[in-house]
Amino acid sequence: MKKTFWSRRSFLFESGGGIAGLALAHMLDRDGLLAAESCQAAVEGNPFAPKPTHFSPRATAVISLFMSGGVSHIDTFDPKPALQKYAGEPLDDKVEGNIVVRQGFPGPLMPSPFTFQKYGQSGIEVSELFPHLATHVDEIAFLRSVFGRSNDHVQATYEMQTGQLRMGFPSVGAWVTYGLGSESSSLPAFIVMNDYRGGPLGGPNDWSAGFIPASYQGTLLRASGEPIVDLEPPEGMTPERQRARLDTLAKLNELDMEKYPGSSELAARISSYELAYRMQGCAPEAIDVSSESKETKKIYGLDKEVTEPFGRQCLMARRLVERGVRFVQLFHGGMGNQNTDTWDAHSNLVENHRQHAAESDLPIAGLLTDLRARGLLDSTLILWHGEFGRMPISQRGVGRDHNPGTMTVLMAGAGIKGGQVIGSSDEFGYKAEEQPISAHDFHATILHLLGMDHTKLTYRFNGRDMRLTDVAGTLIPQIIA
Amino acid sequence: MRTVLAPFGFGLAVLLGTAPSALAQSPSDFTSAIRPIMERSCWNCHGEAVQLSSLDLRTREAALTGGDYGTAIVPGRAEESRLYRVVAGLEEPAMPMEGDVLTDVEVAAIRDWINDGAHWDAGTTTAAADAVAALEGDELTGARLAEAREYWAFQLPVQAKIPDISHLDHPLDRFVEHARRDKDLRAAPRADAMTLLRRAYLDLIGLPPTPEQTEAFLADTAPGAWERLIDRLLASPHYGERWGRHWLDVARYADSSGFEHDRDRPNAWRYRDYVIDAFNNDKPYNRFIKEQIAGDELDDASDETRIATGFLRAGPRVLFREKDNPERRHDYLDDMLATIGRGVLGLTVHCARCHDHKFDPIAQKDYYRMQASLFGFIETEYPLLAPAEAEAYRKKNQEIDAKQEALEEEVAAIEAPYRERMLLARLKEQFPEHVQRAVAKPESERTPGEQLLAVQMLSLGVPQKQVDAALTPEDAARLEELSDHIDAFEKARPEKPAMAEIVTDGDYRYAPNGFGDEIVGCPECRIPPDEPGSYRYEGPGPYKTPPSYFLIRGDPFSPGSLMSPGFVKVATYGDPPTVIPRPDGRTSGRRLALAEWLASENNPLPARVIVNRIWHHHFGRGIVVTLDNLGKVGEPPSHPELLDWLAVAFMERGWSIKAMHRLMMTSEAYRMASAYEHPENTERDPENRFLWKYRQQRLEAEIVRDSIMTVSGGIDLTVGGPPVFPYVPEEILASQAHGTWRNEPDGPAVWRRSVYVYRRRSLGFPFFDTFDLPDQNITAAARNVSTVPTQALTLLNNPFVLRHAQLFADRLEREVPGDVEAQVDRAYRIAVTRLPTEKEAAIARELVDSGSLVDFTHVMLNLNEFLYLR
Repeated sequence: MKKTFWSRRSFLFESGGGIAGLALAHMLDRDGLLAAESCQAAVEGNPFAPKPTHFSPRATAVISLFMSGGVSHIDTFDPKPALQKYAGEPLDDKVEGNIVVRQGFPGPLMPSPFTFQKYGQSGIEVSELFPHLATHVDEIAFLRSVFGRSNDHVQATYEMQTGQLRMGFPSVGAWVTYGLGSESSSLPAFIVMNDYRGGPLGGPNDWSAGFIPASYQGTLLRASGEPIVDLEPPEGMTPERQRARLDTLAKLNELDMEKYPGSSELAARISSYELAYRMQGCAPEAIDVSSESKETKKIYGLDKEVTEPFGRQCLMARRLVERGVRFVQLFHGGMGNQNTDTWDAHSNLVENHRQHAAESDLPIAGLLTDLRARGLLDSTLILWHGEFGRMPISQRGVGRDHNPGTMTVLMAGAGIKGGQVIGSSDEFGYKAEEQPISAHDFHATILHLLGMDHTKLTYRFNGRDMRLTDVAGTLIPQIIA
Repeated sequence: MRTVLAPFGFGLAVLLGTAPSALAQSPSDFTSAIRPIMERSCWNCHGEAVQLSSLDLRTREAALTGGDYGTAIVPGRAEESRLYRVVAGLEEPAMPMEGDVLTDVEVAAIRDWINDGAHWDAGTTTAAADAVAALEGDELTGARLAEAREYWAFQLPVQAKIPDISHLDHPLDRFVEHARRDKDLRAAPRADAMTLLRRAYLDLIGLPPTPEQTEAFLADTAPGAWERLIDRLLASPHYGERWGRHWLDVARYADSSGFEHDRDRPNAWRYRDYVIDAFNNDKPYNRFIKEQIAGDELDDASDETRIATGFLRAGPRVLFREKDNPERRHDYLDDMLATIGRGVLGLTVHCARCHDHKFDPIAQKDYYRMQASLFGFIETEYPLLAPAEAEAYRKKNQEIDAKQEALEEEVAAIEAPYRERMLLARLKEQFPEHVQRAVAKPESERTPGEQLLAVQMLSLGVPQKQVDAALTPEDAARLEELSDHIDAFEKARPEKPAMAEIVTDGDYRYAPNGFGDEIVGCPECRIPPDEPGSYRYEGPGPYKTPPSYFLIRGDPFSPGSLMSPGFVKVATYGDPPTVIPRPDGRTSGRRLALAEWLASENNPLPARVIVNRIWHHHFGRGIVVTLDNLGKVGEPPSHPELLDWLAVAFMERGWSIKAMHRLMMTSEAYRMASAYEHPENTERDPENRFLWKYRQQRLEAEIVRDSIMTVSGGIDLTVGGPPVFPYVPEEILASQAHGTWRNEPDGPAVWRRSVYVYRRRSLGFPFFDTFDLPDQNITAAARNVSTVPTQALTLLNNPFVLRHAQLFADRLEREVPGDVEAQVDRAYRIAVTRLPTEKEAAIARELVDSGSLVDFTHVMLNLNEFLYLR
């Protein structure tokens, strides 16, 4: 963690000066220790104050783990022994319709180069790529029949993130924040963390607010430099000077308020400076993992180079959720060389998936373990997926192309019954077969778990009450059971 | 994945084709009990005409095969059959999607029939043509049309009598006061001169007045000073920058294409400048609309009017493998229709893409008629040269292309054997043995799977460097010679003139290959090479628009009838032409006819829509709050008679927007104070709908930035030209794979007005995003105003803001050196157009004394007062 502008003590001390007219006393701990709860105290005028749900929620927070580039379901969580039998044969004479690939020409069927093994009481099979996550199969629901409509990374990512293939639609996180507000008044309600190698294809549209107010968009927490843009004053600005400026600003704004006593908007703007000031103190604390125990760091893999980057982000995600952040969106795999820095295994499936699984397997398992240990797993919904699955046929004998026909999505926490497999793909893993699940179905189910009816969470735009699920969406019965 | 069925235009034949085969086993049940239900409730969408979700319920085999969601029927087991479950309400979506739900008796019949084995009889299905006609819906005619026109927005506006309120002269004030009296509201007094001056500046040009401008205004004590101020501001070139930006929101303008690759649009800014100029020149609004819709078809078409067509193509585009994805063109057309609909007509026409509009009398046919009006569009680069020169430029380039192509073929022939050899080497090094084996075998001996591998391998490339390194001296020499020739031709190319990105008519099916189109993933989507045609129309004879069809349920793969151009019927009075043939025959004249209708006094909507938008920007709230929706689900107007009076006045004044500014701003309503408390008013009209005081408004993102730079003195007020790229932290840029941002360090070179900042679709400029920049992909109505801590963080910590706080302090030190009291006074005059009160001055001085002047100037940039138009 780089320097934080506010040490705990100076933040406390400075806060003691107070923004004129705004009582900050409730934030203070007289013993001189700023506890995380202080950062959670409610603030009047907070635009993200919690809102009532439609019905009793199963979970109050979400951690979404997006595996950018497209994970091969066939090589991870959806074993296809039939591919051994058909190895080297064409697929097109075995299924309906044209085989459409993203790159070049279709190749022959290719069995998984990885071995599968049964785990847990449920005996669900997981490939050798995820030995740690495999020990959690009894906590996880495996959706093996989620399908999309595009084999382009960006449009497919938009579909999983917004329900639509086009730009300009609000992301799941924005909808959730719009619907529920946030439990935290010192941290952004919806936080996004990109892979250390860069952002996913599609960029900020993947976490945008689309047509709902821009304040519901995800706030990007950066991997290096100051965590949030403009969170910290630049070099040379002392806490004293900033405090003096803020105090003067508050006094002058208070005088101005005398002319507009009824304006809640102006009052909210005055409050927003208090919130901003608190965010300066609370956000670095929230993501500073240095205070975590050695054991905790170890279960996320912070002690190993390969797992450290994603492990740190998973640990940060837990800290954020603990502090009341509503929706944490992580991306694993990001810009750089598309074929090696994301899960986009066109040219070397074995190396690519070994690397990305090694980076993420332990941290995700650690996240589940840690959340469970802290009693947070039941109130936190964990999602794991990419933008599409991959083809059962090969690319030049070594890779797999994009396949929106089916993918495997993992859901855990939120009291979801673990150790179950929902839906299935066909014998090749080419298309969803039993209980096909669309992005709308998936999104409807997420909202349901958070206490919202997807048909009632609407925003009037374009002459319509718009929904995350458009005019579709069927709840996945096994998940909400 | 979707299997592409047929190119557009051939679909109907497929659709009306052969009758289905059928099984005859248990005819009595099916014919008497099931068939009528199917005809009424199932086959409209899962029958001969269309098979939504790929589900066809006409035959047993098809029903068993099922569609995208799996099989529809499990014979013998109704409870497990999706068909039964959806009609019985056991599973979503409940069916039928449209029409009455099945009665209990019918549901039971379906259940029993499935449990009996689900047998069909042999019989004729509903005539497909009838089904198509039924799906396309009815025309709005006669009594229904008359009834639809009872809604206010579909009637032509007429001016009501101006209310008789003797103490007020201005017609607007009389209407407004009339409404106030109705609600028993008391108007606020007039704001003071300094407040009004600041209001006029921020509203009309988006910059706060300088102390000198303030003095000049206060010195003008002769009658008419306010009117003269308005005229001065309207004559400023910065007026167009301010008001043009409002229109650019409507036009969903950006400098990049969006989606994955987010390609640069290097000439998009010419359209942006066109808009700014149009406002500065007070181009009549009807003309403004015509140029943007049909600038290439006008009798007096010019470079300027062609640039205006950039409006149509300002929306997002994928620009990758477009030819394999022909359905995207329908999305692009939808983007145009949505923008024209919401932007110009104030109607959500695009809601009728898949079905008749749910709330407004807009038929799905209206949508596809309007789509037909635009359907010929192509997007092309247009050299900004005299026509003859442009032709010469194009010809010369074509000649050079042809010569280079021949030489390049020769190069390829020489390189071919090297490439083949190297490909094999690469194959050995990098690919598994079974792949090598497949390639090594003669084609006749390969298994089908090996053949697939071989085809994949042979499309593998070899790096040019490797080829160059392996050449024999003779081949190298020959290649160098060829390369010199190619270069020589390249040098002979005429210099690229200034280009505009325009829209005109052509045939999209002949579009030159774009990114990714060299791979043919969908051969059926391509035009056969032997069918003559061209992208840009080249004659001979008059241009013909490619056919376009009604799309059943909006599905590009379910075409219905051939469509001819037309408009939204309910808003069409008289019999305006839907085609205005062009004398040169090079375009269809369909867009021109559409443009004429959109800009017609006989159209009840456009004048109302634009005067309402102007009103919104002046008063902070439209007479109709939903600026882009005057339809039934829009908000009803607060002052309906005023809206119509203004619409007529606007048309009578030659569709002059500047005339509307003068009219609105000279009213007392515009000049009321915003700082006015009145408990009874607040109780009766808490939202100030009826204008009992002026509505203060937070400045838009761009104006916040422009104001900061104006106050510091750092702003560069150059008008027009290519966009600028103010500094964005490198980590933010580095997080994205594509998109253009020629990052420049923060400094005077990028301190241009915010309307000139590059608009990148995949990355909003962070400062603007924080202050509620609307989504740039869809036409925007009123901007949202949020108050969130990230705005405070930006104004507190952003290096750009702090730098301008410093410049502001430097300026004060320069202008009134050493005198803190005078510096505080001047800072107030510069930043908020007034002098501080004693209390304020004391607070300010205390801060300066305890620290520095920049502490105080930074505070000024954060004041609520600084961020609001009041």
